[in-house]
Amino acid sequence: MEKNVVKQSTIRKADPVSLLKQNAMLLVLVLVYIFFTIMTQGRMFRPNSFNSLINQNAYVFILGCGMLMCMLTGGNIDLSCGSVVCLLGALGGTMMVMWGWGAGVSILALLAIGIAYGCGLGAIIAYVHVPPWIATLAGYLAFRGLGTSILSVSITNSISVKDNQDFLNIFSGTLFKTPEGELNIPCMVLGIVAAALVVLVIFKNRATRLKKGYEVDELKMDVIKSVLGAAVIVLVMYKLALAGGIPTVLLWVAGVVLVYAFITSKTTIGRHFYVVGGNIEAARLSGVNTKRIMFIAYLNMAFLTSIAAMTTLARYTAANADAGKNFEMDAISACVVGGVSASGGAGSVLGMVIGATLIGVINLGMFQVNLDANYQRVVKGFVLLAAVVFDILSKKKQR
Amino acid sequence: MNENKMSVGAFFQKYTMIIALVVVVIFFAILTGGKNLLPGNINNLISQNGYVFVLAAGMLLCILTGGNIDLSVGSVVCFTAAVGCVLMDNNVNMWIAVLAMLAIGLLIGTFQGFWIAKLHVPAFIATLSGMYAFRGFSNVVLGGYQVSVTNETFLNLFGGGAKCYVPDFIRQAMGTTGKPNLTCLAIGIVAVLIFIGLKVRKILIQKKLNIHQSIPAQLATTAIISAVAIWLTLKLASHKGFPTVLIWIGLVLGIYQYITTKTAIGRHLYAVGGNEKATALSGVKTRNVYWFAYASIGLMAGLAGILTAARAKGIDPTYAEGYEMDAIASCFIGGASAYGGVGKVSGMIVGAVLMGVINQGMNIVGVDSNFQKVVKGLVLLLAVVFDVLSKRQKR
Repeated sequence: MEKNVVKQSTIRKADPVSLLKQNAMLLVLVLVYIFFTIMTQGRMFRPNSFNSLINQNAYVFILGCGMLMCMLTGGNIDLSCGSVVCLLGALGGTMMVMWGWGAGVSILALLAIGIAYGCGLGAIIAYVHVPPWIATLAGYLAFRGLGTSILSVSITNSISVKDNQDFLNIFSGTLFKTPEGELNIPCMVLGIVAAALVVLVIFKNRATRLKKGYEVDELKMDVIKSVLGAAVIVLVMYKLALAGGIPTVLLWVAGVVLVYAFITSKTTIGRHFYVVGGNIEAARLSGVNTKRIMFIAYLNMAFLTSIAAMTTLARYTAANADAGKNFEMDAISACVVGGVSASGGAGSVLGMVIGATLIGVINLGMFQVNLDANYQRVVKGFVLLAAVVFDILSKKKQR
Repeated sequence: MNENKMSVGAFFQKYTMIIALVVVVIFFAILTGGKNLLPGNINNLISQNGYVFVLAAGMLLCILTGGNIDLSVGSVVCFTAAVGCVLMDNNVNMWIAVLAMLAIGLLIGTFQGFWIAKLHVPAFIATLSGMYAFRGFSNVVLGGYQVSVTNETFLNLFGGGAKCYVPDFIRQAMGTTGKPNLTCLAIGIVAVLIFIGLKVRKILIQKKLNIHQSIPAQLATTAIISAVAIWLTLKLASHKGFPTVLIWIGLVLGIYQYITTKTAIGRHLYAVGGNEKATALSGVKTRNVYWFAYASIGLMAGLAGILTAARAKGIDPTYAEGYEMDAIASCFIGGASAYGGVGKVSGMIVGAVLMGVINQGMNIVGVDSNFQKVVKGLVLLLAVVFDVLSKRQKR
């Protein structure tokens, strides 16, 4: 008998019901998008809408990645990130305006402060065993107060950084700007390259799975997946190209999302997050350093919070006492709507991205149809609840 | 009979928060030159924090079930108050408005409890969505504006306006006026007598059942609590009298003390928090316990809505923001475990008073309101770190 028998890959038949279940949120996203496009007589489909969708929700994607890692470890959350965004914004404003520091030094200083905070928070949670949401609740109270009191030196309670063009260029604005309505070539090139990469990755994955004898989808499913993925990317980039070019913040978002997609799906440490969330005791007994995972989750959250703080500061060109309000809720909602389990161990970056986009589309759509701001909050609340209930019910049937 | 001797270390561990409270009161008394102990400020301490006691009582039950919280209470308080104020503004009978507020609170609590108990939606998500939704609904009900309450009976009864004190019947009967307020003194003395009676009864029962508890220690705590109560009564009597809001606080705390210590459902709350699976296997319908906890905090949010509307003589869509944090912090500072199963009403009271004293002290000293938030956060963190570390030593 040969030792290296390569198992024959089984082909997973696509059955419509499970396909629908797996991609339910995606389907909801498409339906909601179409709904609002009709309601706004096509305004949702204009280049500017794509641009604002990305600019307005950049922080949700960035914080969502960090929150995902925290939630994976067992439904733990970070309530402090919104307040930390406010504090870091205030500090950044002070550095650049009051002390006249350059953009580079300020960015490094902010990152250092964020990381130092993350180490402290992670240590309290992982090694002292303070429940995460209490530790971060304390931060939620304290850092908003600290940020506001730093800003209270100015009469308007805000520090404008609009003179520091370097800083603004790094985190906001548009790359290779062209007039609106003109097709931006670099943007289109980037879109086509990205689309090609997506197709490449899908088929390379398929080849690897076939070689190792893992279960694969039907060929036609992978073809459909790559065609749709590529089409969406090209469409979005086409619209952005018409709106003036690549929003700088999109590169930050894409960078963060790709790095975290890689970490969660391809690395050992990423798998450890899922294991800890699935069964922390079993993970510990299998030799996973569970405390270190908890520590990293919160350190990482603080790191991403610093990045989100800088994009927020650049977007508003000023540090405000209200900056970052409810950011934690948006990040949590994005994760939960995107199918991240509230009890840990399940969830993906792709799901979170779909969740964040769905919430962004709903927000933008409600804004464009002039829905009363109060009803917007009500809708947001019910979307969150409906998403979780849906998630729980669909899992119940699988068992 | 061998009595449980308590070491000095264990004594400090058990009464840390009370010691901390005394230290903080003395600290601010020195800092403010005794201003924080003036009768007027003692009175304000109670009236300003009425909602904290009420909400924290409800929150305690949720936390007992396993560290679950209710993030929606701030929004629900605002919503119930909004409905009540709008009803009264349209000349609806005050009692119907009050009943409506309580009923709406209970209904919301039951609704959220349904998702949590029956569908296993994580509590913080179900209540997070409530927090969004009911804040929005309050805005809709109020049309974005402030609605004021002018109904005198409502204000007097629930602790708002200038006359929200129990009238001095005794002096009225005697036909005199002045201070101290004799009715207030009488209420205080009767309350203390009832308390002492209950304690003595408890000690007698312990003796009969041969439960070994240190009798001198119990008598000492009873004496200290009675002394504090009498001191409070004297302070209140020399101010304007017995604030009506204290009646509601006392009622709620009494009922929750009874529920947590004397009833089956109360014990089930602790059991579920301690070990849900074991509790379910012992025949307790654990999901109903969750439902009860969330329905109860809904009702308390309704009552807190009444108190808030009365105290502020109206309601604004931005009122009651962050109330959930106050209630949660009070429970944790008062020694409730963030993992459930541990926590007492008496501890929660100490936690709420400690937070109140710190807030008021900082106000009198004139600390910037932003720094007050920082201190609040640090106090919360310290309390929980201390709790976690002291429990670790026991093991």
